[in-house]
Amino acid sequence: MTKYIIRRLLYMIPVLLGVSLIIFLLFNVVSGDPTAVLLGKNATARQMADLREQLGLNKSMFLQYIDVVKSAFTFDFGYSWATKQEISQMIKQGSYPSICLSVPAFVISTIISLFISVFVAYYRGKGIDLFVRVVCIAGMSISALAYILFFQWFFAYKLGWFEISGFEEGFPAFVPYIALPAIIWIVLSIGPDVRFFRTVILDEIYQDYVRTARSKGLSEMTILLRHVLRNAMIPIITYVVIQIPSLILGALLLENFFSIPGLGGITLNALNSSDFPVMKAMAILSSVGYIVFGLISDILYTVADPRIKFK
Amino acid sequence: MKSLVLVLTGVLLLSVGCSKDRSFDERELHLISPEKIAGFDPIQISDMYSGNEAGKVYEGLFEFHPYKRPYELIPNLAAALPVVSADGLVYTFTLKKGVKFHDSPAFPDGKGKEFKSDDVIYSIKRLGDPKLQAKGWWLFDDKIAGLNEWRDKNSALEASNYAEEIEGLKKIDDYTVAIKLKRPYPQFLYALAMPQLFIVAKEAVDHFGKEFLNHPVGTGPFVLPVFEQTNRIVYTKNPTFREKFFPSEGEEGDDKLGLLADAGKKIPLVDKIIVDIIVESQPKWLGFQKAKADLLEIPKDNFDSAVVGGKELAPDLKAKGIRLFANAMLDVTFFAFNHDDPTFKANKKLRQAMSLAWDRAEANKLFYNSSAIEAQSVIPPGLGGYRKEFKNPYVKFDLEQAKKLLAEAGYPKGKGLPTITVQTRNETVARQIIEHFAKCQERIGIKVKVGMNTWPELINKVTKRQHQLYTMAWGADYPDAENFLGLLYCPNSSPGSNGSNYCNPDFDALFKTATVLQDSPERSSMYEKMNEMVAIENPWIFGFHRTKFYLSHAWLKNFKFMEFNHTQFQYLNVDLEVKKELSKKF
Amino acid sequence: MKQNSLWKDAFFRLAKDKLALFSLVIVLIYFLVALLSSMGLLASTWSQEVGASNLPPSLEHLFGTDIFGRSVLQKVIRGTQVAMSVGVAASIIAIPIGVLLGAFAGYFGGWIDDFVTWLYTTFSSVPNIMLLISITLILGKGIFAVYIALGATSWVTLCRLIRGEVMKHKEREYVQAAGAIGGGHMRKLFRHILPNVSHIIIINTSMQFQIAIKSEVILSYLGLGVQGEPSWGTMIDDAKLELVRGVWWQLAGATVAMFFILLAFNILSDALRDALDPKLKGK
Repeated sequence: MTKYIIRRLLYMIPVLLGVSLIIFLLFNVVSGDPTAVLLGKNATARQMADLREQLGLNKSMFLQYIDVVKSAFTFDFGYSWATKQEISQMIKQGSYPSICLSVPAFVISTIISLFISVFVAYYRGKGIDLFVRVVCIAGMSISALAYILFFQWFFAYKLGWFEISGFEEGFPAFVPYIALPAIIWIVLSIGPDVRFFRTVILDEIYQDYVRTARSKGLSEMTILLRHVLRNAMIPIITYVVIQIPSLILGALLLENFFSIPGLGGITLNALNSSDFPVMKAMAILSSVGYIVFGLISDILYTVADPRIKFK
Repeated sequence: MKSLVLVLTGVLLLSVGCSKDRSFDERELHLISPEKIAGFDPIQISDMYSGNEAGKVYEGLFEFHPYKRPYELIPNLAAALPVVSADGLVYTFTLKKGVKFHDSPAFPDGKGKEFKSDDVIYSIKRLGDPKLQAKGWWLFDDKIAGLNEWRDKNSALEASNYAEEIEGLKKIDDYTVAIKLKRPYPQFLYALAMPQLFIVAKEAVDHFGKEFLNHPVGTGPFVLPVFEQTNRIVYTKNPTFREKFFPSEGEEGDDKLGLLADAGKKIPLVDKIIVDIIVESQPKWLGFQKAKADLLEIPKDNFDSAVVGGKELAPDLKAKGIRLFANAMLDVTFFAFNHDDPTFKANKKLRQAMSLAWDRAEANKLFYNSSAIEAQSVIPPGLGGYRKEFKNPYVKFDLEQAKKLLAEAGYPKGKGLPTITVQTRNETVARQIIEHFAKCQERIGIKVKVGMNTWPELINKVTKRQHQLYTMAWGADYPDAENFLGLLYCPNSSPGSNGSNYCNPDFDALFKTATVLQDSPERSSMYEKMNEMVAIENPWIFGFHRTKFYLSHAWLKNFKFMEFNHTQFQYLNVDLEVKKELSKKF
Repeated sequence: MKQNSLWKDAFFRLAKDKLALFSLVIVLIYFLVALLSSMGLLASTWSQEVGASNLPPSLEHLFGTDIFGRSVLQKVIRGTQVAMSVGVAASIIAIPIGVLLGAFAGYFGGWIDDFVTWLYTTFSSVPNIMLLISITLILGKGIFAVYIALGATSWVTLCRLIRGEVMKHKEREYVQAAGAIGGGHMRKLFRHILPNVSHIIIINTSMQFQIAIKSEVILSYLGLGVQGEPSWGTMIDDAKLELVRGVWWQLAGATVAMFFILLAFNILSDALRDALDPKLKGK
């Protein structure tokens, strides 16, 4: 077991090197010379040469790659081109609003989805099950952009239930600001969540132990909650854990539309100003998140499910 | 689990209900910035919105009069206009006494030091510091005696040596500075009013180092201890601000409009400025209507719902006391041909045909609600060099002539002409403008495609001459047509500001003579000549001089449109009585 | 009670199949529309004015007109062509890469497997949205950048699934038997194993297709997608500005068009999985 975990931990290294390689290839090799971009309209050749030197672009490709790798381990990403801000500082400041939005939205949507999926699993095959599934699929088929545009106009402006946009620090000051984007988030994620959870729960319902329990005369609801859900929790938890890193960027469009100064907004802004160091940093950061939470999810899975054999 | 859901939803809904009430006792100014603010280091400012923010905390030696038009330069940190030597090269400035920098940990005891000549010299040197790669360097590049030499010398050093004296920047005493120019530079004083030349303190730059851009320490009317890169910036009144008073004069009619009601009062007039950064136009517009902001630059796309028939304010907005401001801007929009491309360079008729095929009236209606003026050439109305009577024969909509010229150009019905890509900014309206342009060109058989770019990418393509046509708007940096004519001056070709790489020796010769002259009728007539000479050559397809629209709530006082508005906010005021009264309607 | 639910189950399954059939028809219609549009038989005049600016939907202009007086319906159709082409192109890039790498890794194991596993773990470690926007930004935008970006991101899942299935099948008797009568590795892999795992390709493609469509819309909305051609994403981008003045039909047109194709693909991929993947049969 410990051996397995250590192996998985060590495996992070080649993966991180690989991720750095992809990012390096994209941003350092394919993208070309950024100096003209950086200096704006009135640059002189001399200024460009000086800047290349300062940015370390005269270094060999290998050394530049090493820099990317280093940043993946130290989280020292240097300075933004567009804003001249220190990137690690930008990330630190952007994390708070992002977390304020994504964590409650994520927790609530997971709980609601779980609740709905137990409910439809109980009524599986009945009309209500079909109805919920159709609603889920239909909900998933509408563009996220349409939700955002419409909800903001209707709920925040027409009905005036929420702040239209902006953000304030501190609880509960931020709540009126994040409430609507959080609701949109929940609406967006319930569809796929319910579909997945339902499948997992139904997977369990046809197991032998359920039949045994039923023959013992336990009520269907008890079986569902006590036994089935407990077993179904394993894939559910791993599914949930692996989604956590996507919380960092998940709110890309939401943050932009609701003027929430989070990481998603920073990323979009970097995108619109060709701010490569920030794009690079966000790519590295979110990849490291994926790797770490992927690992946690794997470990949880193996710890919880004795059927998995270790290599 | 069920109960947990209930509790969580409950908390969510409850806290939604209790959003904060507006306060009516503090004089707060609520503004919107439509773009992200890069930071508060003056020398790195390159966009208007960052300049507006810096202008709340920093000051320059001069500013533009907030009410007088045409724009008039008045002393700000300088005590008076400078004394200029007979040859026009040496400017002697006297500075205001007793001006204090903001209190800051950068200074001993945290008390802001007094502003003196050293700060002026330091701030100018800093603009030329090769280690900093200032975006505003072009303003003083090759202008001040000894500054370029100092810059070159220092680029080889580990750290720039500020102790070294420069011939052109001489301290006479603590309150007098003499600046010597290499050659006449009539726009020099305008440059000193620009955000790039705001005065900073060496102590603050040294103390905050790389973080200086987040810790503005200026002499200005408002204080911002730390810029936290959030979407809301809150400024408070500077308690140590010097005695500065609201002007008692303005343009004719300003007093009737009540713009001078606060004359003689000490400024700033509000205690606090809150700036919300809102990029998307839907929340911006909805927020203004909910009175979350006092002033709004109307996003083009919300124009119809704000203004009826392109003139009048919509009745529902009027009923809420909202006012509309429409003002001509000092700008020009254009499609610039790349003259490095032989297709366009050698073929004036092709350029003219394309100009004639563009239905400007329709574009004006679609994108500017018919409020823009069709540009006949580069210089916008309001600047010396613009002549109202001048009409460019190729700035009209005439498909027949366009087809004829296209045939004469060697491409009858567009045959043989490859698809032309027009590069533009990655923005909805920018894309739509080209889509419309393409639709027009299709009528004479020319195929046009949109190329979308981020702003830096667009600049990059233009500087590297990798474009066929690009479109842009140019806004005045200062009220001198030189700023516009320079866009077609050959030595300014890419990577300079002449992105069309257009060269015309006659034009260049005139430009050289005219731009070193002080403002005079003689210079204006030279500008006129250049403007009209270049017009019929059509190095660009001339677009529009646009109108800018602002909406303000009734309680916002003293607002008047200003092209160079970094210092404007200290003059604004809020009428709390009116605000309280009207707020019931929102 | 049991009897009852059995009947209901049967009915349910039947209804679902009909639904799946119906979805298939919808998907085919979209393909047909896209094909006709790309051959210039449909909506070839999308760039021409058909009426005044921003006309609301009417009998004459079913979806209304846009700011230039162009038909929104024609733009929707043109957008369908773009969306479907993106799905097809992403599949064309992803299927060969995913299947070949997955098959080799699963079949040969050893260092090949190690390498392929490392490769797809690496790719799946960069969040899709970051990879998509980075690639399109750097490759300089346009529809080809979108194809490549989507191709680069969508082979990963397929590769992983194929690898797993091939590993299982490799040990099966029929493969052993094929080996015994003297089949080479390639023959075993391509003649015997791959046909038996091909259902995974179908299921996965139908899922990836809708991801591709969604991604194209987001990328175009961000200005990274198609240039100079209508796309559902740019239509929504337009709508963002028009909505406050009550011009809702561009948003509606694009959203409705997107809704039906995504719905159809969602139902279809569910049904395909149920029908083709024996593990999930009977649920």
